[in-house]
Amino acid sequence: MSKGLKDLKRFKSSTLLGGTLSLALLSFCFLIFYTLYTAQETNLFTSVDSKIYGLLKFTIFQAFLSTVLSLFVGLLLAWALAHQVKFKGRSILIALFSSSLVLPTLIVVFGIIGIFGRQGYINQISLYLFDTNFGTYLYGLGGILLAHVYLNASFALRSLLHSFEAIPKEKYKLAKSLNFSVLKCFYYVEYPALRPSLLSIASTIFLLCFTSFAVVLLLGGNPSYNTLEVAIYEAVKLDFDIQTALKLALIQLGISFVLVILSSSFKINTTNIKTNSLSSITKNSKTIQILQWFIISLFTLFFISPLIVIFIDGLSANFAKILSDKVFIQAFVTSIIIATLSAIITLIAAIFLSNTRRNFSLDTRLAKYPFSKVLNLFVAFSGNIYLAIPSLVLGLGFFMMYQKYDGSFTLWSSMALLTANVLMSLPFALAVITPAMQKIAKRYDRLSFSLNLSSLRRYKEVELPYLKSSLAYVFTLSFCFSLGDLGIIALFGSDEFITLPWYLYQLMGSYNTNDAAGVALILLVLVLFVFIFIPRIFRSKNA
Amino acid sequence: MKKLVYLLLLTTFFAYANEKPTLNVYTYDAFAASWGPAPKVKKAFEKTCNCNINFIGVSSSIATLRKIQLEGKKTKADVLLGLDTAVAQVAKDTKLFSTHDLDTSIIDLPNSYKDDTFVPFDYSYFAFVYDEEKTKKVPKSFEELASMPDDFKIVIQDPRSSTPGLGLLLWVKSVYGDKASDYWKRLAPHILTITKGWSEAYGLFLKGEANMALSYTTSSAYHMVEENKFNIKAAPFKEGHYAQIEVAAIVKSSKQKELGKKFLEFLYSKEFAQLIPTSNWAYPVIKDVKLHESFSKLHLPKEFILMDGKTVQEKRKAIINEWLEAVKK
Repeated sequence: MSKGLKDLKRFKSSTLLGGTLSLALLSFCFLIFYTLYTAQETNLFTSVDSKIYGLLKFTIFQAFLSTVLSLFVGLLLAWALAHQVKFKGRSILIALFSSSLVLPTLIVVFGIIGIFGRQGYINQISLYLFDTNFGTYLYGLGGILLAHVYLNASFALRSLLHSFEAIPKEKYKLAKSLNFSVLKCFYYVEYPALRPSLLSIASTIFLLCFTSFAVVLLLGGNPSYNTLEVAIYEAVKLDFDIQTALKLALIQLGISFVLVILSSSFKINTTNIKTNSLSSITKNSKTIQILQWFIISLFTLFFISPLIVIFIDGLSANFAKILSDKVFIQAFVTSIIIATLSAIITLIAAIFLSNTRRNFSLDTRLAKYPFSKVLNLFVAFSGNIYLAIPSLVLGLGFFMMYQKYDGSFTLWSSMALLTANVLMSLPFALAVITPAMQKIAKRYDRLSFSLNLSSLRRYKEVELPYLKSSLAYVFTLSFCFSLGDLGIIALFGSDEFITLPWYLYQLMGSYNTNDAAGVALILLVLVLFVFIFIPRIFRSKNA
Repeated sequence: MKKLVYLLLLTTFFAYANEKPTLNVYTYDAFAASWGPAPKVKKAFEKTCNCNINFIGVSSSIATLRKIQLEGKKTKADVLLGLDTAVAQVAKDTKLFSTHDLDTSIIDLPNSYKDDTFVPFDYSYFAFVYDEEKTKKVPKSFEELASMPDDFKIVIQDPRSSTPGLGLLLWVKSVYGDKASDYWKRLAPHILTITKGWSEAYGLFLKGEANMALSYTTSSAYHMVEENKFNIKAAPFKEGHYAQIEVAAIVKSSKQKELGKKFLEFLYSKEFAQLIPTSNWAYPVIKDVKLHESFSKLHLPKEFILMDGKTVQEKRKAIINEWLEAVKK
């Protein structure tokens, strides 16, 4: 038997499973596009009117501003934290910033309203101290930017902190011996190390803000602050103007695709969602240190105060009433079921895809054969299609299919929600699992091939012990994402099919502030508990 | 064994025999709420029909229509209750509703409204309401409203989801015609926020977040009767007030059409008409109903304004777009 055939046989099952899945994902992507394209009647290209142009302009404008601001804040904070390594609570602080990745957008917005809103703490304190307040400034561009910075700056921080920490200490020593100022040191030593990840973080944040939904829906306040996503939602839910919705969805789809391709890296930069490494950097002067302390304290306050507000406001809610409410129980159960299912599916999909990818990228496997690179990219892209198909577009696609085919509304709704949740978590799941599986293969391939371990046995004996903590992390990540998502459910939510975020959104919409605060607290505690404690149970020493 | 099967069959038979037909009515949440008319209407109608009636509340009146459209042929709804004459035509164009062929000659409205699909069940006039104790200087016309100081805030509803929201647009359009857009630009700084439905806007107003909210001339009757409060008033506007006639119709895909018809007929019966003033806080659609004494204290507009449904349907999109452009900051 030739070596090539032997190789193919050996990796047949792992390549086929992931390959099939990846093909299925891409076909699904095409199916959505095809459904939307064939459902619309008007000619797409002749009918892009000034209204859509205005929408597009604002969507891009706010995404650009959000990206710049988030990067700036994230960079400042990463710089300060990288230079301040020895203080109590640093790791807790970083863990807290990490958890912002899974905080439900709705919760963040709720907390931000509590701090910055018309009746928020800042206005109340100012009213008490100076007998005047700032009035309504939150709703509109200001609020959108604030929430986007909150959500994305901590995301940027994690990646950038990692890049800072990867800078060899010798370089700092050299900078010091050359008597570099802080700015010079940043320019010559730190910036070159950050640059590669800076671009990919920026493009990811831009994409996330470009397709932002919940934030804009809640804080937009005025129709002029609509993004394409919200316009799609309004066209379906308020106007029932499916044609306009389709047109908007296709435009959104087109632009997202172009953006994803332009950003050229099909991966979300999450190499280090789990930050635990510590390395000390030489000390700066006293003034700079004070500045760093100021930055850390200011942004810590900015990040933590909305969460504290949720705790304080939530505690005064009538929990007996909330917990005995039939609708709440229904929403809770639905949310838990959907989150569990989507976490399991995400996990399986991520393992299949990562397994296939390492076949194409490792020399011990199939990397030396032609087309491996292309196939590798193909699989990578299929795991990241969520960036190209935003959730409302996905939702609209499902809705058109629901109209075309049979089945109950609830069934289609749960399918749409599950799909969206899985696709949403998949890029993050892959970012964690792919490198881990790669590492295991590099280390143990030769050994397990020589022992001729069967695939199942190999998984049990070799892979699982090393993957356990990553798998647990991905499970909780995906579980929490799903638990907090207000995207597709906004299109499909009804009195029969209701999730916790949708229930909270409705409570907020009816200005039922007390119950909303209680539900927000329950959701926050649930997400933080799952995110912080579940991975701890499965933490293994070797990974 | 045989006995067991018989027993089982028998119980199922009785279970089915006892099961009354259920009529699902989609309506806006203020109607379906426990403090709204729904519980009283349910009690009164179930006495006459040997059926169950199930009110399903949706965030706003137009959202009820959108829900039925979204659910398509698979909708549970038998009756839609709560659109007004301005959007009834929109609903008719969806072809999701069936004609009622009922004799509606007894219906008596300030203007004549006759329709083969929709049946009116109450009416009132849109008005901005205010709290006498909190707001001393009250605008008496659209002009005065626009020239109030900057911190004078109003809450209105989104015309795409709520009938009062659309009503205000039609009201302004009727008064200002071609200059409506210009007026909205002047009013925009006073708009605190635009809510999806009436309840949200009214809730914000009662909380003191805004000086006025778009509601009805009859809203203050609620506070007089239920809360014994006399400080919530409707501002009488010189230009006259836009009227809202609320209507209901049977959903075409319904399997309970006969029951639905019975329900529509019930909507203009004396029994229902007596419930309306002090539960939905509006005027009944038939004559000789004794109104609660509080109604004599309400502002009764001399001039009422109402565009006919066809005109509204033709111009609705343009009017909403004009508004959207004008209120953009």
